[in-house]
Amino acid sequence: MAEFGTPTSSGRVKGLTIVKPVVFGNVARYFGKKREEDGHTHQWTVYIKPYKNEDLSTYVKKVNFKLHESYPNQNRVITKPPYEVTETGWGEFEVVIKIYFCDPNERPVTLYHLLKLFQSETDIMLGKKSLVAEFYDELVFNDPTVMMHQLLTNPRPIAVGPYKHETDFEERKEKTLNNILAAKKKIRYEITELNDRLKQKKETIQKLKKQISQLEENVSETGVQPDVESLT
Amino acid sequence: MEAGSDVMDILELEKEKEFITKDALMNDYKKKKSKKQEQVSFKRPEGMHRELWGLLWTDNKDAPPLMPADTNQGYKQMKAKIGSSRVRPWKWMPFTNPARKDGAIFYHWRKVADEGKDYPFARFNKSVEIPVYSDLEYQQHLHDDSWTRQETDYLFDLCKRFDLRFIIIHDRWDREKYPNRSVEDLKERYYNICNTLTKVRAPAGTEPKIRPFDAEHERKRKLQLIKLFERTPEQVEEEEYLITELKKIELRKKEREKKTQDLQKLITAADSNIDSRRVDRKSTKKKMQHPQKVKEIGTNPESTGIKFPDFKQSGVSVRSQRIKLPASVGQKKTKAMEQVLEELGIEYNPMPTEEIVTHFNELRQDIVLLYELKLALTTCDYELETLRHRIQTLAPGTPIPDIPKPETSDLQITPTSPTGEEPDSPKSIKFLESIDVMGTPGTPNRKRKAALEQSNIMKKIKHKI
Repeated sequence: MAEFGTPTSSGRVKGLTIVKPVVFGNVARYFGKKREEDGHTHQWTVYIKPYKNEDLSTYVKKVNFKLHESYPNQNRVITKPPYEVTETGWGEFEVVIKIYFCDPNERPVTLYHLLKLFQSETDIMLGKKSLVAEFYDELVFNDPTVMMHQLLTNPRPIAVGPYKHETDFEERKEKTLNNILAAKKKIRYEITELNDRLKQKKETIQKLKKQISQLEENVSETGVQPDVESLT
Repeated sequence: MEAGSDVMDILELEKEKEFITKDALMNDYKKKKSKKQEQVSFKRPEGMHRELWGLLWTDNKDAPPLMPADTNQGYKQMKAKIGSSRVRPWKWMPFTNPARKDGAIFYHWRKVADEGKDYPFARFNKSVEIPVYSDLEYQQHLHDDSWTRQETDYLFDLCKRFDLRFIIIHDRWDREKYPNRSVEDLKERYYNICNTLTKVRAPAGTEPKIRPFDAEHERKRKLQLIKLFERTPEQVEEEEYLITELKKIELRKKEREKKTQDLQKLITAADSNIDSRRVDRKSTKKKMQHPQKVKEIGTNPESTGIKFPDFKQSGVSVRSQRIKLPASVGQKKTKAMEQVLEELGIEYNPMPTEEIVTHFNELRQDIVLLYELKLALTTCDYELETLRHRIQTLAPGTPIPDIPKPETSDLQITPTSPTGEEPDSPKSIKFLESIDVMGTPGTPNRKRKAALEQSNIMKKIKHKI
């Protein structure tokens, strides 16, 4: 590691962008009752993992999970996969996930996750099924440092078998994109329409103004006072 | 020492008393101080900070006292030793005031030392110097057709008597003998004479100092003041009302001018949007095979809506950061946008892939543009309405050119069906209405006006039938 600390390692590979999709969130399971000794009701695990089958630890130095202040050791630092924290509790709160990279020249990145414990679905409520609340996001490395570039381009797989997530993100991606594209079409159509109408109105306004100025000339010749109220 | 003097006083022992003045009091204090200054100087102890030592050492060159030292000075006022000074003798004596011409004698108390001196307040008796003119001067320079010599003399006499207090002069003016004249007339005559005299008498080559008096201006000024003073409360009220109305009108005018300017901008923005849309539509077919290409075409050249920050900086960032709305977007816009998004069934925070982020941001920019267009349309309607109204008042019965239908939401807009390539167009009208522009000021009025207009039109139609 020490040889990377030299100033040359801070040189960046200009014009290159590397994208690393990740998935973060939490699973939770209800005990089925309130625990006597501390009132906790759920066991949960908050985590961050790569979206693709590759080892995060090649370029991630550590991940800091900042829990609610009522937990002992509020900051949980995880240095190797799996990057997750398992705890018990009774309430939802925002977990701050801060990712530190192997090259200290790349600034750490922060994600926020609202820990989810409660849901109306009966199976989960009864504790038979785990609740999953996870999100997709992407780490975007703009002009990565030379060292990061090296680390990012040689991923190691973590799992030998097929690598899957609880949520089908591919399907969701497709759906969201189609939705947005359709909406965009609609809105743009409306914009054209409105714009045409607006232009039409503008022309009419100009026509009317012309007419008024003509009328006003006539009026001033005949000496009739224009209506004051219409000026306001 | 003080206590000692008290004892002496009580025992009525005559001690040599000096005549105490302010100086004596001050000197007394200084003498005491100077005695103390003979003491030996101290050296700064080792390890003591210079600043701290400076505090102790600067003023008195004295070792810091153990007991509070400034018992007899400080901020307390110095004790005035009134009782110990000798009383100066005063005397009841007669005096004359040189300001008086009659030489009347009065009596008053005065210090014996001041006996025989002039009455000190006589110097406040100032009198104005009124110029005197000779017969020759009057005939040569001072003649005025509306003033006789006699009246001029009378004026100068009064000026001298009342020290140029023109209000009094005007009051005492002999209206039986001479014509009634205003204060300004009197002043004008007097200053004209003074100025001509100074000009005439000034030695050649020197610039005489003249006192300008603009009688015409003075007359106008007083007339204005009188008019201002004599307004009735109703008139005052009306004036205030008119001023506020004028301000309102000007404000509205400015607003409208600004809006028409914005309108032009908006139309150009929408035009460019349509252009990009055309390109977009062409590319949609290809897009299925090359999703990468959309990014290049889809970027809007310029958009009035939202300015999303560029993420061109080097370093790591999270993609979801790019769909965050910048803080510059107003609350109304944000709300309108959220409303439309909800109706379109799109999450506020969709899954942030590169493609989705780009399109989502563009979509929101379009929504904002739509919102602004809608706003502009409402203003246009309003303007059309006022213009139409105006034409009718100017010349009732004039045929009015076709006015596009207003956009009031309670009017059912029949969607002019497009060429058919937009299958979802009837539904799209709904979104247009869902944008709430009614939060703009003055809307209720506008609505009411529109309603009034409608009923008027209805009546007219009935009449014709």
